[in-house]
Amino acid sequence: MENKIQIENVSFVYSPGTTYRTDALDDVSIGFEKGKITGLIGHTGSGKSTLVQMLNGLLKPASGRVLIDGEDIWEKPKEISKVRFRVGLVMQYPEYQLFEETVRKDIAFGPKNMGMSDEQIAKSTETVAKIVGLDESVLDKSPFDLSGGQKRRAAIAGVMAMEPEVLVLDEPAAGLDPEGRNSIFAAIADYQKQKNATVIIVSHSMEDMARWCDNVVVMSHSKVYMAGTTDEIFERASELVSVGLDIPEITRLMMLLKKRGLDVDLGAYTVDAAIASVKKLFDENKDR
Amino acid sequence: MKNISIGQYYSANSPIHRLDARTKVLLAILYIVVSVLCKNVFAFALLLISGIFTVLLSRIPLRIILRSLKPIIIIMLFTVFINLFMTSGDRLLFEWKFIKIYVEGIYNAVFMAVRIVILIVGASLFLTYTTTPIKLTDAIERLLWPLKKIHVPVHEFAMMMTIALRFIPTLSDETDKIMSAQKARGAGFDNGGLIKRAKALIPVLIPLFVSSFRHADELATAMECRCYHGGNGRTKMTVTHMRFSDWFAMLLMVALGTAIVFINIYGKGYSM
Repeated sequence: MENKIQIENVSFVYSPGTTYRTDALDDVSIGFEKGKITGLIGHTGSGKSTLVQMLNGLLKPASGRVLIDGEDIWEKPKEISKVRFRVGLVMQYPEYQLFEETVRKDIAFGPKNMGMSDEQIAKSTETVAKIVGLDESVLDKSPFDLSGGQKRRAAIAGVMAMEPEVLVLDEPAAGLDPEGRNSIFAAIADYQKQKNATVIIVSHSMEDMARWCDNVVVMSHSKVYMAGTTDEIFERASELVSVGLDIPEITRLMMLLKKRGLDVDLGAYTVDAAIASVKKLFDENKDR
Repeated sequence: MKNISIGQYYSANSPIHRLDARTKVLLAILYIVVSVLCKNVFAFALLLISGIFTVLLSRIPLRIILRSLKPIIIIMLFTVFINLFMTSGDRLLFEWKFIKIYVEGIYNAVFMAVRIVILIVGASLFLTYTTTPIKLTDAIERLLWPLKKIHVPVHEFAMMMTIALRFIPTLSDETDKIMSAQKARGAGFDNGGLIKRAKALIPVLIPLFVSSFRHADELATAMECRCYHGGNGRTKMTVTHMRFSDWFAMLLMVALGTAIVFINIYGKGYSM
């Protein structure tokens, strides 16, 4: 399996040499698989957001290397903006970065900075608007007149419109209702499929991770605590609990059942898998 | 911008830190008046000694105090040169073409330098280095209290100052975030000519304005929810009292002022 982005021994310190000094990343090495959706979870202050800003060169590692397709992004520091077009980053609460008169213009801001032609921009805007589910009529409104969920989707569309090979999103669904969350994640999955992009999602919600991600990276205290496929990670649910992370409710239920003596499958982290596991158990014991 | 510090408060436990903020505001004003009053050479010497004494008393490292002089170094050099070359007197020291330097000029240049240094160091020592911004606004509110009699909204002004100070780090944080977000969309802030750079700020300024209005709205709602209704009948959580040390410090300052006026009148030696 090929890694699109590889991080090698990266460390980062905020405010070095002062009393405010904080280690954000401590010798982190991790790879993000090409064409997959990888979830990044961890506590507040575990270094997730810092790591994410390393990926497109917003922050420069104090030591270590960040490789995209095997190339060090800091080899030519002057061309770092090119990296930013390849790795699209959606920051936390991206709706606060909207500024243009219309949604359409705002979406076009990134592509314009890239030097895309007007035709390309129009085409790209149309595509991403469809992906995130913004109607044609919304595109000509002022971004400040939209609802919260629509603003979020417009902001994400603004990054998607640059058609990055890697899409990184920091808490894309924070503060949205369940329906809003699902539509955002569905849009991200849709983009991934259409462009065969590599996607990295930072999230607190284990449920969302379990549902949408192929791989999961768990961070704790500025280090990578564990990494693997979603199946592998949720099989080790009890370890997640030990670092103080939440696990999907259904996994917790399965753990409780196991404790009570039922031999259920602990790797079942979605409701469907759990139902299947319980049903299987039920069928096996039917004769007794 | 994580390590931005508002004002230059230097946390320490010195006699000056322990003074009431109101005292320090008054001391700062008096010190400025005193340093402007100085005329005689011995008066300046006394002023300089008092300045060194205050710095030692405040327990603030010298390098931090010198940092406060950095922004005014140009103004200081300018004043020194003006005084050096423009003062005329009786004792000519040096002449070259149209440039004439008199002994009086050297005196005046040194005097002005001492005066400016004391002015800045004195004011920032009493106000910013040893007093937190919150205590300072509180002190100003209490000192200006009499103005309420003539319907000046003193409390409201103080509250506005406090809120403004409170939001500096918040907004600087926000600017940082918005800049990063726009950089991620390919915006460049440090290339191109002046107009291009100014234009590049629009994607930062508009969201910043929007968010500061949002903050103001939210804060107003939150304050109203907690029944804030201005200064009338409002009591303080911590009320500071003037203590013996406060009166003593002011007495010292007044004594210094009196001594300097006395030296100005009766002192021998060069006078400005």
